[in-house]
Amino acid sequence: MDSTSIRFTWLYAKSELRLKYRYTALGVLWNLLEPLLYLAILSVVFSYVNKMRLSDFAVFLFSGLVPWRYFEKVVSTCTDAFVQGDWLLKRSPASPLSLPLARWIVASVEFGFSFAAVALVLAFMKEHWTVHLLVLPLAVLPWSVAALGAGLCCATLFTFFRDIRPVVQLGLMFAFFTAPILFNPDLFPPESMQARLLVWHPLTHLAALFQKPIHAERWPDAMDWALSSGTAVAALTLGSLSVLWARTRLYFYL
Amino acid sequence: MTGSVFELKNVRVTFRTNAIEARSLKYSLASWLGRKPRTSYAALSGVTMSVAPGERLGVIGRNGAGKSTLLRVLARVIVPQHGHVAVDTARRIVPLLDLGVGFHPDLSGAENCVLAGSLLGLSPARITARLDDIVRFAGIDGFIHEPVKHYSSGMYARLAFALAFDVEPDVLLIDEVFGVGDEFFMDKCRARVQALSSGGVTSVFVSHNLDFLQAECNRLVWLDRGRLVMDGEPAVVAGNYRERRGVFED
Repeated sequence: MDSTSIRFTWLYAKSELRLKYRYTALGVLWNLLEPLLYLAILSVVFSYVNKMRLSDFAVFLFSGLVPWRYFEKVVSTCTDAFVQGDWLLKRSPASPLSLPLARWIVASVEFGFSFAAVALVLAFMKEHWTVHLLVLPLAVLPWSVAALGAGLCCATLFTFFRDIRPVVQLGLMFAFFTAPILFNPDLFPPESMQARLLVWHPLTHLAALFQKPIHAERWPDAMDWALSSGTAVAALTLGSLSVLWARTRLYFYL
Repeated sequence: MTGSVFELKNVRVTFRTNAIEARSLKYSLASWLGRKPRTSYAALSGVTMSVAPGERLGVIGRNGAGKSTLLRVLARVIVPQHGHVAVDTARRIVPLLDLGVGFHPDLSGAENCVLAGSLLGLSPARITARLDDIVRFAGIDGFIHEPVKHYSSGMYARLAFALAFDVEPDVLLIDEVFGVGDEFFMDKCRARVQALSSGGVTSVFVSHNLDFLQAECNRLVWLDRGRLVMDGEPAVVAGNYRERRGVFED
């Protein structure tokens, strides 16, 4: 990407953020309200299903759900980034990366708001604040990189195979419901098949980067860092290579 | 590159036909099994040419001749499947392939100037500093802070032109965009283009307006069915084009 494309990406992301709330009565307040309401509904319903104390479950859910929603938003909004961006890609030599990158920036800013808003409320629900919370800014990185990589892959695939959208949505749904985000992995005995399968679920280790410092009040394991960082780097490499391959072909498929 | 702004060697750009049907699983399977041939057409075929600094080149041809595809190749929007394209990227190339590229309908005129201006290589500070001049040239005072979706098509075109002409380009690529806006504004735009051309700006115009091209260009190329069939003095090329009614027979 050249400096013109980098500047355009940043300005485009700023415009998208500005426009998102321009015609709403509550404006940017939605950035705070929406994650709070979402978390409140899920906490009430699933604390009952999981037979956990509401405040304890809300803390557990928050720790996995907020980064997951960020990941999901990046992937789903990036999927049609090239196809919706034909107004730009067919008329200017701007880098195609600008479009998914702008969506990634928008989702990242919204994630920051969500995290701050929900953390503020959970400050009253969480009993102990420990030093482990200091690792959270670092824990965002693998999520963010993995989301961008997956988003780039989906954007490329969707340009050439429009059938991919429902597959992406089903894939996200499958990943979410099979990952220990809504349920606590300690539900399963360590030797059970479910527990052994969960070890290989990439989201288990990504979620652990948030769940362990926030809910379990301990540091993420070396295995969590290694597998989540490996997943993120692999996703970004694959995503970047797919865009590199598609760069000269996009025009003919938009 | 031997001092040229653009150098094209044996450039070929093809598009697949049956663009809708070809996306279906049925068609893909039939094509894979060899029951349906993969068909395509060449929008540009074997085009070899170069554009020197300061040249004012006009591109003529009937509809579907490949003029816009050629301009998109020069603007690096299309990367040809075959052949070689060299572009002097040290120069500021401003492609006016369409009016209002980078404009978002919900953003105001001023916000769009910043966003679309960034695509033309201008910083937000530069655009903000020049905004009064852009508004004055466009003649849309009082509307610059309104969303452009509320603009008339003429106002939209005026703002897009005003922004593009404020860039101070080294190379200007214009694709048949002089047909919009009122006569007086278009006169203003033509005068600006003439001033840029006489100032040494390299220009490539795609147009059906032969009189305009003959007046503004010092070289014309004629494209027919994707092939470059004539390249030379504007009067000679335009004369041949008129005489043969735009269809070149070998």
